[in-house]
Amino acid sequence: MKQYLLYFFLLIACSAVLQAQTYELGEVTRQELEEKSHPKDPSAPAAILFSKGETYMTYSQRDGFILVTEVDMKIKIYTKDGYEWANRSISFYDAGSNRESVDISKAYTYNLEGNSIKKTKLKNEGEFTEEVNKNWRLKKIVMPDVKEGSIVEYRYKIVSPFIHIFPEWKFQHGIPVNYSAYTTRIPEYLGYTPNFRGYFAPKVTKSTKSQSVTLTNTQRVENRPSEINTNKIDYVDNIVKYEMQDLPALKDEAFVNNIENYASSIEHEITYTKYPNSPIKSYSSSWEDVAKTIYDNEDFGGELKKTGYFEDDINALLNGLSSPEEKLVALFYYVRERMNWNGNYGYHCDKGVKKSYAERAGNDAEINLMLTAMLRYAKLDANPVLVTTRSSKIALFPSRAAFDYVVTAVNLGDRTVLLDATSKSAVPGILPIRALNWTGRLIKQDGSSALIQMVPTQHSKEANVLTVSVTNNGQIAGKAQRQYEHYNAYIFREAFLGMSKESRMEKIEKAYAGLELDNYTVPEDKDLSKPVNEEYEFKHNGMTDVIGDKIYIKPMLYLGETENPFKQEKREYPVDFIFPRQERYIITFNCPEGYHIESVPEALALAMEENIGTFRYNVVQVQNQVQVRAMVELNYASISQDYYPTIKNFFDKMIEKQNEKIVLAKNN
Amino acid sequence: MFLRKPILFLLFIAFNAYSQQDLSVLSIPQELRENANAVIRSYNKEITISSRKSMSVKTSRIVTVLNDYGNDYIDASEFFDKSTKIKSIEAIIYDAFGKEIKKIKKKDFRDRSLSEGSILTDNRILYLDYTPVQYPYTIVYTSETETSNTAFISSWMPLEGLYVSTEKSSVTINHDTSLGFKYKAYNFDEGILKKQEQPGVLALSVENLPARRSEDYSPYFLQIMPHVLFGLDKFNLEGVEGEASNWEAFGTWMYNNLLKGTEELPEETIVKIKALTAGAATPLGKAKIVYEYMQNKTRYISIQLGIGGWKPMPAKDVDRLGYGDCKALTNYTRALLQAAGVESYYAVVYGDRRARSLREDFVSMQGNHVILAIPNNEDLVWLECTSQQLPFGFQGSFTDDRTALLVKPEKSELVRTHVYDDKNNSQNSKGAYTIKQDGTIEGTVTFTSAGLQYNDKYGYEFLSPDELDKKYKNRFSYINNIKFKNIKVNNSKDKQLLREDLAIEAAGYGNISGNRMIFAVNAFNQSVSVPQRYRDRKAPFEIGTGYYDTDEITINLPEGFTVEAKPENMIFKDKFGEYKAEYIITGNQVTYKRSMHLYKGRYDNTEYENYRQFCDKIARNDNAKMVLVKQ
Repeated sequence: MKQYLLYFFLLIACSAVLQAQTYELGEVTRQELEEKSHPKDPSAPAAILFSKGETYMTYSQRDGFILVTEVDMKIKIYTKDGYEWANRSISFYDAGSNRESVDISKAYTYNLEGNSIKKTKLKNEGEFTEEVNKNWRLKKIVMPDVKEGSIVEYRYKIVSPFIHIFPEWKFQHGIPVNYSAYTTRIPEYLGYTPNFRGYFAPKVTKSTKSQSVTLTNTQRVENRPSEINTNKIDYVDNIVKYEMQDLPALKDEAFVNNIENYASSIEHEITYTKYPNSPIKSYSSSWEDVAKTIYDNEDFGGELKKTGYFEDDINALLNGLSSPEEKLVALFYYVRERMNWNGNYGYHCDKGVKKSYAERAGNDAEINLMLTAMLRYAKLDANPVLVTTRSSKIALFPSRAAFDYVVTAVNLGDRTVLLDATSKSAVPGILPIRALNWTGRLIKQDGSSALIQMVPTQHSKEANVLTVSVTNNGQIAGKAQRQYEHYNAYIFREAFLGMSKESRMEKIEKAYAGLELDNYTVPEDKDLSKPVNEEYEFKHNGMTDVIGDKIYIKPMLYLGETENPFKQEKREYPVDFIFPRQERYIITFNCPEGYHIESVPEALALAMEENIGTFRYNVVQVQNQVQVRAMVELNYASISQDYYPTIKNFFDKMIEKQNEKIVLAKNN
Repeated sequence: MFLRKPILFLLFIAFNAYSQQDLSVLSIPQELRENANAVIRSYNKEITISSRKSMSVKTSRIVTVLNDYGNDYIDASEFFDKSTKIKSIEAIIYDAFGKEIKKIKKKDFRDRSLSEGSILTDNRILYLDYTPVQYPYTIVYTSETETSNTAFISSWMPLEGLYVSTEKSSVTINHDTSLGFKYKAYNFDEGILKKQEQPGVLALSVENLPARRSEDYSPYFLQIMPHVLFGLDKFNLEGVEGEASNWEAFGTWMYNNLLKGTEELPEETIVKIKALTAGAATPLGKAKIVYEYMQNKTRYISIQLGIGGWKPMPAKDVDRLGYGDCKALTNYTRALLQAAGVESYYAVVYGDRRARSLREDFVSMQGNHVILAIPNNEDLVWLECTSQQLPFGFQGSFTDDRTALLVKPEKSELVRTHVYDDKNNSQNSKGAYTIKQDGTIEGTVTFTSAGLQYNDKYGYEFLSPDELDKKYKNRFSYINNIKFKNIKVNNSKDKQLLREDLAIEAAGYGNISGNRMIFAVNAFNQSVSVPQRYRDRKAPFEIGTGYYDTDEITINLPEGFTVEAKPENMIFKDKFGEYKAEYIITGNQVTYKRSMHLYKGRYDNTEYENYRQFCDKIARNDNAKMVLVKQ
């Protein structure tokens, strides 16, 4: 917010300058070529001096309105690491008859040679078109004669017949952007909603312009020469220009959900068409409308209504089951076992539920709509939920493009259970991590819809009980019982499902350097609604220091944290823990023969503000035994970056405590 | 005439392969299920080379996939391009009992370009995109391809990877005897490989190879996996006829057909290079100027289009466009050097951080990378022309210590690239830190790195302060709360030395328990980690790079504390290396001296546990603690 305000003031202050400077291709100055590093970000390998885009529509009698996007780019290369910015790939759709096209023009590299500016043109040899697959092509350009200090410029034009798919404009990139402008010029017949994201606000200028098209019409009447009627139609283009200045480079960090959520960009979603002499056709405009539009689509709502393909199988399955819970469980596991996710995302069925059911494989929509249909068939109150997965961006405005996934919600009266049968490790209430994002949209049978929280609020627990003996040369040996619940169990299963015992042991040994496992029991784990219980014996040589006649022991052993995962001093984005967690540890040490316990760390209780999390730590000594009891709780799935110092500090203190030693001393 | 017999023979084999195949998973022997995620039930490849310009490959594969991890081994895909066509391709899926569940025809295979990022290529792949619906399942895959390229006959590796076993695998090659067909088998245990050979036909087969597991520090897989290489003395490469009867002739062929005529430069550039290098007295002095000129003028772009995959883009095009792939940039540098009157050779190698060599005993198109060699008395100076950042004459770990083919107009030959001596892969540290009463440490240290340790770090020079901070926080991740108050990196390109000056601070480094403070003396170079344990190590292991570290650090102890215990001085030597740590206490100061010398080498599987112990001992000594007690 602070940044936002600051930027806003800068914007006002700069607007005079903004007016004065022109951003045209072909106007490269010596001063620009001489610049050795970016004035605001000296470590940037390259910078976008300006990017300027315009999307508009032209009318042809044959094709109707088509979308044209023209973009001018001027990029400064500072160092060799910036050379990749002198290559560019643009993907476009080309499936034969319905195709987009891309044209590159005005592409030059500028260099300073002595006192003069050398201009090198991109020729055909540097332009390539690649067939990525059946539907997609890539236009690639490789700019010539690029050196440190070069400026490259190019213009590209994308012509698309798909007026429903408006291009996205990115103001912000991995390198600094000095100036970026995007203009939309849209006939009054079409309505689009702009979707904006990022921490920076653009300057917005609106205007209109009169346009006209002339339609010709040939009329043939028998026995008479053809008559040509022309018909001129006037309309208005709505013009909106978005401008931004001095955008910093976008940098990724640890524990960030999806960095693209934070990049300044704009998308447009079509909301209505209102052609002359035609009624208004509405697309999406509110979340309810979006949900309704999706629901009314044959590939969604239509597929959801089909039941014939499964009825025989399901009748047999439901036979004898009476409570909704029993039915839910039976149907969920039936679909999860039968169906196999093909890895594709989307809220539309691809080959349809019937075919998917027969082939036992499908996308998420096919699997979960099928599940929803079966639950409804069994008279449960089940509804599909539209989801934005973690790999796609969160929409800020109602839009169909916001969603890329479907799960199922069942209302059991007092509670709602979410289901996703695409993963073999999923259970009712536990979804694959990809679906744990933001909010979903639950669509009811009548087409009405409601918001539903997708982010878990319940703690996923982990419990560790270790019994350890210490030898007088500092080796430790013991037995570990570890229990994983909810999402911890899900993650455990995803990592280990189907793996041989030996591979499991190696994987664990790899995760905890120096640990040597023995007698590993592969968890039976038949009932996935129960926690996973893992048991093994272990040895470790590196958990103690034997110095003189004392043994110093790390109380949390290999399970303790030694490094703060939050290393950076500053944080730009929220901290994403994915789900709330609770970890508990009870570790009991037996003192070796001839030694006594000299000291143990003092107890500690830490709590973060706003109930973000707590750490409780207690080490007690009972005769020749030491017992460590520790509990860590993180109470939210995601925490605002405003609390970053709190979290970093919490982890520092917790780790420092965990690293205090238990001291054993030789008896005199 | 020569065709008739082999075909009959082929049919016989193919018939056998099918008729005996039981597609049920129950018939897989137990020993082939162990450690296996997939089992190659039967693999048969029939290669027919009917002329120098025509080769067809028929593949039939039957693979049982036991679990999710085994899906990679269905390998139901074929590459194609302008000179390679896929005539047929099909897959049928069977359930565990051998009942057919799905048939996938050619039109349902997916077509995709092999290019990624800025790579430009016309190579494509047709592949099966299948979502398994149950495990185990069996896939029967058949394909037939035809190509006019006979320079590459794909090798046969019956054990196709790790965690996969092979029940039966065979390859049959029918060849026109006038083409000089040859083959060579590597790494087969005694008696495993069955062979039937007659003029114009070679048939090889193996049975029952159990799965191998992945083991760290294993040598490069082609050094241990059984495989057979095939080749022709007379071949065709994208329309160019080639000869590979011995390395000299092959190199000369490459020169005459792929290099000759590509070195022409614009007069303007020649004049410029002559002027630039006029002042340099020696050929190497001139070469250095030319190399740096090239580094500043060009960038690397991978281009694999038709013969362009093998023939460098003309030097005059590189000169104009300022980019190219390894072939183009190396050849361009060669042309520039020629203009400066300096001789140099285009050299074909395998570029890989694991030393992978051309097979000296098998003359054929090999290698995946090209570098440049400049003769200097008896020696060769090597240039990596795709890097805009490496110093002149620095070989680095991507191409060191392996065979290279020098391509010359005459007397082409195989040579060894630069071998780095362990002792010269050095890092020396000198520094001091102060530990305070609250356990905070504060100090400065200077590292100087050479040889392959220089290789690891020369790129630091180009990192932003943020990236550097991250890099060092990772390197010192064993110190919680570490803050870098100063980071300075200095790359002496001429000396090939990298100097790092660091100033650090870390609260809580000294661990306070009651009135004692414990801390690890070696704060700046805890570099050794203990390799993964294997209960039953099978593969030999390799220490790919040796090195030599020396450290001398002065530690100032806090006021009011005395040393209660210090780690023992330690010196030991093993076949893997040498280690020394020394602690000298003088008043309130400790001088810590350490040296660590790891030898490059290859050892038997039985030595692996000893090597682990060796590393464990070092790791523990590196982490040895000193105990201070409050007075």
